[in-house]
Amino acid sequence: MTPIIELRNVTKRFGSGRDQVTAVDSISLDIEPGEIVCLVGESGCGKSTTGRMVVGLLPPSEGQILYRGQDIASMEKSEYQQYRRAVQIIHQDPYASLNPTQTVRQMIMTPLLRHQTLGADRNGAGGGRRGRRRDAERRAAELLEIVDLTPVSDFLDKYPHQLSGGQRQRVSVARALTVEPKFIVADEAVSMVDVSIRVSLLNMLYRLKDEFDVTFLFITHDLALAKYFAWEGRITVMYLGRIVEEGPTPRLITDSRHPYTQALLGAVPEADPELAKKKVHIELLSAEIPSLLNLPTGCTFHPRCPYIVPGECDLVVPQLDLIPDGGSVACPVRMSEPGRIV
Amino acid sequence: MSQSTDLSWHQDVEENGSQPPLSLQDVHVSYRTRKGSVQAVRGVTLDLQAGESLALIGESGSGKTTLGLGIVRLLVETAQVSPGKIIYRRDGRELDVLSLAEGPLREFRWRDCAMVFQSALNAFNPVLKVWDQVWDTAKAHRWNNREEVRERFLDLLRFVQLDPDRVIDSYAHELSGGMRQRTLLAISLLLDPQILILDEPTTALDILTQRTIIDLLRRLKEDLHFTMLFISHDLAIAAELADRVATMYAGQVVELGPVGDIFYRPRHPYSLGLIRAVPTVTGGFEELSSIPGSPPDLINLPTGCKFHPRCPFASERCSAEEPGLERVGDNHYAACWHTDAVQEDIERNGLRGKRRA
Repeated sequence: MTPIIELRNVTKRFGSGRDQVTAVDSISLDIEPGEIVCLVGESGCGKSTTGRMVVGLLPPSEGQILYRGQDIASMEKSEYQQYRRAVQIIHQDPYASLNPTQTVRQMIMTPLLRHQTLGADRNGAGGGRRGRRRDAERRAAELLEIVDLTPVSDFLDKYPHQLSGGQRQRVSVARALTVEPKFIVADEAVSMVDVSIRVSLLNMLYRLKDEFDVTFLFITHDLALAKYFAWEGRITVMYLGRIVEEGPTPRLITDSRHPYTQALLGAVPEADPELAKKKVHIELLSAEIPSLLNLPTGCTFHPRCPYIVPGECDLVVPQLDLIPDGGSVACPVRMSEPGRIV
Repeated sequence: MSQSTDLSWHQDVEENGSQPPLSLQDVHVSYRTRKGSVQAVRGVTLDLQAGESLALIGESGSGKTTLGLGIVRLLVETAQVSPGKIIYRRDGRELDVLSLAEGPLREFRWRDCAMVFQSALNAFNPVLKVWDQVWDTAKAHRWNNREEVRERFLDLLRFVQLDPDRVIDSYAHELSGGMRQRTLLAISLLLDPQILILDEPTTALDILTQRTIIDLLRRLKEDLHFTMLFISHDLAIAAELADRVATMYAGQVVELGPVGDIFYRPRHPYSLGLIRAVPTVTGGFEELSSIPGSPPDLINLPTGCKFHPRCPFASERCSAEEPGLERVGDNHYAACWHTDAVQEDIERNGLRGKRRA
């Protein structure tokens, strides 16, 4: 199958001269239709930049991004529009991403009318402005139902400030759905929502995958959430702009290979006192993350890595190599010494 | 990481069965707003024992931060603390915190009870170097021996595993999030307080940084027996660091007990709901379920039990009568009419969702 989204050696640099930073450094990633891929990493690892490039909000400095096999940089206008409709993003902060002066009805209806995705319009039947408004109105109600904002009449005339964080995020999702996307980038989409409500939001997103064939790129710093949402998908771990490990979620969570992934998994605080006591923590050589302005040579993790092999790790940039039980790892040291794997 | 620096001047915990250093008695806090009175804290009674770490957990709007700020009297002017009493005890003397005058209040803050705020950047003066800020603080508390203060602060920086030379002459913006949080912790310990209140100490930090802060706080707890009050929405903080946990909902403590009881034998539906909503990383896949509905409107609170509109165990009684904290085990209290039903549910369905390998 052709991947729905493909990244080929994508690099993104910001700034110039001495202030130049490489936020994303030559990453490649294939996402098949219907897949869930989680992008995991700490702040500054390039996960959000990657997400923004995938939806076309930022152009890559180098490399290509392909939508259904076609480079988005060389698309015809109509193809490009189609791609921009098919690939949507849900941002972290629904306070910032919803227009405070518009009601839910306006926010959902505007794109419906603008993009002419309504059934009546497409068939050329039922025409007229009033007919279109009626169709849009009906579709808006359907969409609110899909995102569990029911009874719909309670929500249509509300402004964002009258909604809770979770409800606001549901409106963002409904708004993204107006253009019938095939691919959704969810950038920390549930991070600002209270714990008790997070799961229902995740479950709602998951349902979109089955009911509307939506493919997900789920970006998060929270490994526990990644594990829950992408158990049947894949996790890709980024560190300082590079992919250090990726693989099917169960393998990555239970049997990670890269020292950075292992350190992350070991460090996650667990909401279970016994688990928390039993967990093995990997002691890093340094607690500080290097600056993007002054990246270490070779493997960028080497100044912190307890398994460092001097003369190798600090000189050679490790490549992602396939491993037999799924996925790939950018750490030749740990791959060749499986006995040392914790 | 490195070995702990000995903070030998930290006083030993009095273990002669003395009275708790901090007692909250029926504390209420409300905010005046144009729409009406927001009842943020509604009758919290709680003792903080010497040497224990207690976690207040709850969602946004549960009143946990308001309560923390109330203890050090840092609430905004529109907040009113009444009725209620906050009693602080040290070395046999007893203070009524709510009636302290400005002078003694300043003494109480920092020297007796220090608070580490959620946003580490906002806690620093951006135009002062770290050392200048520390020196100002010391002078404000009439500690005028510059050499002594510096010596003490350098020790504290080493204790929080920071390179003193790197930090002491830096501005706050020159430090990373984790370094700022650790520096703040060091400053809060400067005057050797008896109680430390930490509001969301790890929120908004990266995972590896969170881990260093948690390990540090654990050393404060285990090696130095600090008395600590954690305020967090994150159950994991409670699981990692607390001896006792208080679950807050709509301004009240709805369950209080030893950490093991709250996490493995919860009796309040809200505590159970939180546990079932939070994923863990270790182990296989587990089903999660969320709590339906959203937190209550604090101006127009529901009748009866404030959790009843969201509660799967709710009965008619719950919408009519508000339950108080009742004893359900050793040092374990829950405010719910249906604690038995919660227990049965856990026995029947397990504590957490079904696991898949």
